[in-house]
Amino acid sequence: MAQDGRKVVTFWFAQANSDGQAALRSNLVDAFNASQDKHLLQLEVKGAAVNNLLKVALVAGNGPDIVQTSGPSYLTAIANAGQVLPLDEFAARYKWRERFLPALLNTGIYGEKLYALPRDYESMHLFYNKQLFGQNGWTLPTNRAEFELLADAALAKGIIPFGAGNADWKGVNEWLMTVFFNNVAGPDNVRKELSGELPWTAPPFAEAVELSRAWYNKGYFGKNYFSLTIEQSFLQVVNGKAAMAMGGTWAFGTKSYGMSKPDTVMDVAPIAGLSDRVTAPLVHLACGATLSIAKNSQNAEGAAAVFEFMLSRKFYENMNRDWPGKWALPVKDLPPDLLKGIGYPLFEKTIAGLHEAFSGGRFGFTTWTFWPNASNGYIIEGIEQVWLNRITTEAFLNRLQTVFSQEFKEGKVPPLPPRTA
Amino acid sequence: MWLFALPALLVNVCIILIPGLLTLAAAFFFWDGVGTPVWAGLANFQGLFEDPVFWSALTNNFIWTAIFLIIPMCLAVVMAAALMIAPRSRIVVQSIIFLPRILAAAITGRIFQGMIFSPTTGLVGWLNGLGFSISDPLADPDRSLYAVAAVDIWHWWGFLAVVFFAAMRQISVDQIEAARLDGAGFFALLRYVLLPGIQPTLVLMMILTVIWSFQVFEFIYIVTQGGPAYGSEVLATLAYRNAFFNGDVGKATAAACVMSLFGLCATSVYIWLQSRDGAHAA
Repeated sequence: MAQDGRKVVTFWFAQANSDGQAALRSNLVDAFNASQDKHLLQLEVKGAAVNNLLKVALVAGNGPDIVQTSGPSYLTAIANAGQVLPLDEFAARYKWRERFLPALLNTGIYGEKLYALPRDYESMHLFYNKQLFGQNGWTLPTNRAEFELLADAALAKGIIPFGAGNADWKGVNEWLMTVFFNNVAGPDNVRKELSGELPWTAPPFAEAVELSRAWYNKGYFGKNYFSLTIEQSFLQVVNGKAAMAMGGTWAFGTKSYGMSKPDTVMDVAPIAGLSDRVTAPLVHLACGATLSIAKNSQNAEGAAAVFEFMLSRKFYENMNRDWPGKWALPVKDLPPDLLKGIGYPLFEKTIAGLHEAFSGGRFGFTTWTFWPNASNGYIIEGIEQVWLNRITTEAFLNRLQTVFSQEFKEGKVPPLPPRTA
Repeated sequence: MWLFALPALLVNVCIILIPGLLTLAAAFFFWDGVGTPVWAGLANFQGLFEDPVFWSALTNNFIWTAIFLIIPMCLAVVMAAALMIAPRSRIVVQSIIFLPRILAAAITGRIFQGMIFSPTTGLVGWLNGLGFSISDPLADPDRSLYAVAAVDIWHWWGFLAVVFFAAMRQISVDQIEAARLDGAGFFALLRYVLLPGIQPTLVLMMILTVIWSFQVFEFIYIVTQGGPAYGSEVLATLAYRNAFFNGDVGKATAAACVMSLFGLCATSVYIWLQSRDGAHAA
């Protein structure tokens, strides 16, 4: 209980850069606390280790009221263990089930009960240097052959086709593999695989892994993939040393990546299909964070009130203006056209595209949202062995199948939303 | 008498023995870290032994141990001996070689990653610009372990040198002077006077090196995270990833048990040597 009689609501946040922390303080904490007099929101930025801290704290009964995880694949173990409260009562009161986009809300439903709200939506996209494209007469690739033609032309001119680097975050491997799995094998095959109807060793996945290996070994990701940080590799694109980057839509919220608003150098688009199975550009459904209420919360009402506050138009506009890409709430009555006027055209068009695709069920599946933990971990670590020719594609997929089938048997695969063709 | 040891004993029981036993128990359960543990018998050990990454991690731990038993030990012994025969430079040299030890591992790791090995911002990149063809060793699975070991050696050897120098200062000055009057050069002095004189310290540091080498984690995790392609994976990074990323606490604790086994062996050797020396002294 706070001094002024308000009940405290605690909230642990993961990583936030300085812009993000300032936006959180002013647009969330201060604004929520000023908007009512019953609850006092207290937010702590815990950093990258928050998922580990959270698990230990929840088991010990000392976690925060608001449980934010880094996405459904982290939430599954916590929800299965009953460490978070079902939100159905609050959902009925605030009409959350009717307001969120079903594809995203579905990621928080376990056994008919709603355990989490999605905080945002994300996707992999193709970020490219449009000035460089213009100078070289390149056009946006629409299939694998065009990608390879462009990449070879870039290499011939000493330009890196795709700026990429994982020196500071190995998760970059899974960003790339999300693209290869979905854009080569096709999202329907990925969904079948995650549903247990198709093994990882099936030919479409072998083709996806082989293509990733071939592109890595041709030097499409540059010579220094394991030495560059994400920021360094993205700046290569902005500075014209690389032509493109396959990156996440969260890149909009990181100023140090070098994009500006409005942008005369960079452009962004969904990534084209990379096989006959995927003939149109594809976005990849991702939920970068989930919001739940701890089982032992002393102020579940307050936590729910914070969630409801987040669904306000004002909060949506302010957060996306001050920290673009981190808080794109997938709510039907928060249409992306609310963002018109924040002065960031690339971000506005990207969010509008995602909203439309996710509303219509046209998406692929991201590893960090829909893969169970150990399988996801193996993709991140094991794919390096394939790229560096330490193991064969077959050995990689056999191992992945072994790990995945065990997790599938144990019910660790996060809920899968339906998609339309 | 044992009452004097009671407070320390209690602390050790509470923060080492009980968590240690719980860790050992966890190795026999399937547990994701938040749910209810389920009895697994030896399945976690079986899964670990069937995983080729475990064997490469174990091999890397042995390589790491061998590296640290040789390179920093030799550097430190030679430096300590040099300090013995050059007293005027002692303060300055000791300060310089000890400096890396007081830097945080995260800072040391980032210095080497960004300022030495990086092909864009580091010494490697600068040498490449001059026409030398050198690649980033951290990006090569065959060299990454050695590159991280180089970082840790830079951080560690100065401390060892100071420890050995302190031990050498306990040797009788008369003994050293007599050896020099008899015509002993630097290496003869080292071989016949200084090394025998610091033998107990040398053995202790070697045993501690074995124990620490099987616990090595921070430099590897900061600099390469065990990669690329598991090239610098060791048991501690394997355990950490299993526990905190893969949600497999049982397998992680099984790996931790293997780590502890080697530490236990080294500790047993140390205790045996101590008891033997004690018996000889009596």
